[in-house]
Amino acid sequence: MLELFRDIYRYRELIWILALKELKVRYKRSTLGFLWALLHPLLMTVVYVIIFSYILRFGIEKYPVFLLSVMFPWTFFQQSLMYAVVSIVSNAPLLKKVYVPKVVFPLASVLANLMNFLLSLIPLAFILWVLDFPFHLTWLYLPVPLLGLLLFTLGCGFIVATINVFFRDIGHILEIALRAYFFFCPVIYDLIHVDPRLHLLFRWNPLLYTLNGFRLAIYHGKLPSIESAFTSIGSGLVVLIIGYALFRRYQNNFAIHV
Amino acid sequence: MTMPDPSNHFKIQLQNVKQRFRRIHGHARSVRGALIWLAESAAIVEDFYALKGVSFTVRPGETLGIIGRNGSGKSTILKIIAAIFPPTAGTVEVNGRVSPLIELGAGFHPDLTGRENVILAGVLLGFTQRQMEERFDGIIAFAELEDFTDTPVRQYATGMFARLGFAVATEIDPDILLVDEVLAVGDESFQHKCLERINQFRRQGKTIVFVSHEMPLVQSICNRVLLLDEGRIVTEGPPDDVIARYRRLIQEVEGRSARQR
Repeated sequence: MLELFRDIYRYRELIWILALKELKVRYKRSTLGFLWALLHPLLMTVVYVIIFSYILRFGIEKYPVFLLSVMFPWTFFQQSLMYAVVSIVSNAPLLKKVYVPKVVFPLASVLANLMNFLLSLIPLAFILWVLDFPFHLTWLYLPVPLLGLLLFTLGCGFIVATINVFFRDIGHILEIALRAYFFFCPVIYDLIHVDPRLHLLFRWNPLLYTLNGFRLAIYHGKLPSIESAFTSIGSGLVVLIIGYALFRRYQNNFAIHV
Repeated sequence: MTMPDPSNHFKIQLQNVKQRFRRIHGHARSVRGALIWLAESAAIVEDFYALKGVSFTVRPGETLGIIGRNGSGKSTILKIIAAIFPPTAGTVEVNGRVSPLIELGAGFHPDLTGRENVILAGVLLGFTQRQMEERFDGIIAFAELEDFTDTPVRQYATGMFARLGFAVATEIDPDILLVDEVLAVGDESFQHKCLERINQFRRQGKTIVFVSHEMPLVQSICNRVLLLDEGRIVTEGPPDDVIARYRRLIQEVEGRSARQR
């Protein structure tokens, strides 16, 4: 685990340049370019607001804020995994020709999406301002759920990137799994809307605590309980330790199998 | 008094290196294959050894040629020296900075410009961004791409792509140059230029490992040649002797397959 932080430090410039490359490549051939990093979340918001404020009504006050406070973190998680899963495989020509530290590729995928996520806070702030929604002081708490989210996402990213080298179907499975997981996570609804008999099941979801942290801080203006905060970061750390161990265990074989 | 530098004895040393590859038959990378694999894993997984115990040493300033038929393990040796993967068994020791296998622009991204790709490739090879910017003009000059630095490389012609790849790999000043059939690509003037650069490396006393099927080239630039067949070293020595042995080997193989028919 210490190894990971040492690698991150040692290869910081490489990770940074790879992440920038990923963003550049994503936007390069579009006319609006980097503007899409802001436009994409904004336009997605319009879609969600139309669906959930006019078509499917949950009767939640200021629903756009309720939704977006968790939707943007969720999008970060989902996008990071979709990029991380191909991060090793798509660099196959490189891995077969040059010695490169493999660990930088999933890290760069997550970092690129982290930048996108941080940029999406601009349209979020814009929407809050348009809706005349207060900026609670609890925004200052956001680094805590963000850390939990980052650890959890990195861990899952290492896992899917490793599996994909040996088992290409994981890309398809992941897409479906993420869609299912989306509805299992309280993004469009809150845990109070769920049948209480199922709560025990939902509480096993580590991401619940992280996403809740975002919603409490942005929407409710409250802080989560200490246990909830610890569960968020602790579960993220556990997943990262498992994911990184798996990645390390197999990384020497990547160039052969990829 | 200076301490004896152990790296002076050799630049590269392989000791009893074995490389096993696992061949998986059918579609074991899909669900169906995985189910079959679970059912009868041994039946579809076949191991074979690309290298069956290879030992040799390359001394500083030497230009070592490696020749052999297709599939004899030449490229696997280069990949192990380049640390692309560790060998299944045996030890490898390399002293000095190794050039990438110059397979001309591996890792270049088509949507990035020549400049962006050069910087990215350099950082991937362990340089800082600033070091690469310092070397940038030299690289572009060698590749003769001054007018195309800000063009996405997807618009490059194949030759331009190859020139840029070779320029990056050699301009980063490696101690050990690994060359794998590089001269098969590119037009004649570029080939001359590559050869000129390889000769320049030799004059500077750098170590080169050269894999090629072009015997005249091997003969002219190598000090010593290894003949590899089916993952084993058949013989090693001066280029003339080893190349003659290689020709006999080819004749034997051809004779054998003729008799079988």
